Amino acid sequence: MAEKIKTQIEFLVALQDLDIMIKEIAEVKELGFEVSAEGAATLTRARAELVQTIKKQLLSNYERLRSRYKRAIVPVKEDTCLGCFMRVPTSITAQGRTDVEVLSCENCGRILYWLS
Amino acid sequence: MEKPKLISYFNESTFIPALQARSKDAALDELVNCFVSAGFIRNGAIVLEMIKRREELGSTAINHGIAIPHGRTTAASDLMIAFGYSKRGLNWGAMDGKPVHLIFMVLAPPQEQNNKYLPVLGRLVEVLSNSTEREKFTQVTTFAEFTNLLKS
Repeated sequence: MAEKIKTQIEFLVALQDLDIMIKEIAEVKELGFEVSAEGAATLTRARAELVQTIKKQLLSNYERLRSRYKRAIVPVKEDTCLGCFMRVPTSITAQGRTDVEVLSCENCGRILYWLS
Repeated sequence: MEKPKLISYFNESTFIPALQARSKDAALDELVNCFVSAGFIRNGAIVLEMIKRREELGSTAINHGIAIPHGRTTAASDLMIAFGYSKRGLNWGAMDGKPVHLIFMVLAPPQEQNNKYLPVLGRLVEVLSNSTEREKFTQVTTFAEFTNLLKS
């Protein structure tokens, strides 16, 4: 169970990295850098494949948060949510490290993950 | 929005006024290695892989003999820039077909609290779009001269 949750979180982090890359690639193109249509299509294809590996409910939560924040899933560092920089309760941190369930920040709602 | 000050992202350890590389791949390798030698990144292989993948999406040459290879990587803890100058010039697949002499490699962590990555890239492009400024960068031989250019 823990391993499955951990894998889902890893997929979600990978999806977010890809989404940020897709967005930034469009922005650097505006700065004058060359980005081939084929290259951009490759990223979009990779995203479509990655989405298939993530559970619907988790994905929909991610998409909802992404419409609100630049980053929907953020790491916890030194008991602090790196999305809103508020302290995460010790109980949540202890629970989060076990990878038994997907946890969210009580303050901003972003999905949390713990760096191992 | 205030323009980011480029000077703070450069370091003497990642300043190469005379690149040894004779190809684009070798130049990317040399620049990544200078970040490793300086102790700014630990895993050069990950960064090189990311930088090469970015080049596959489209050349990072922005014409007029300049290339700005860039990307985000978990190997970088802060935004940082390496500079390399190639006197002979390197084939970078630039749209204007000209060889690249000035290379600015920009690395950023996946998450930055102040989101300077794109503004810094934009500022670099802006500074280097000035032909007089570009020419000055090809003349520098020391880091002090280089930083003086960035101050002006």
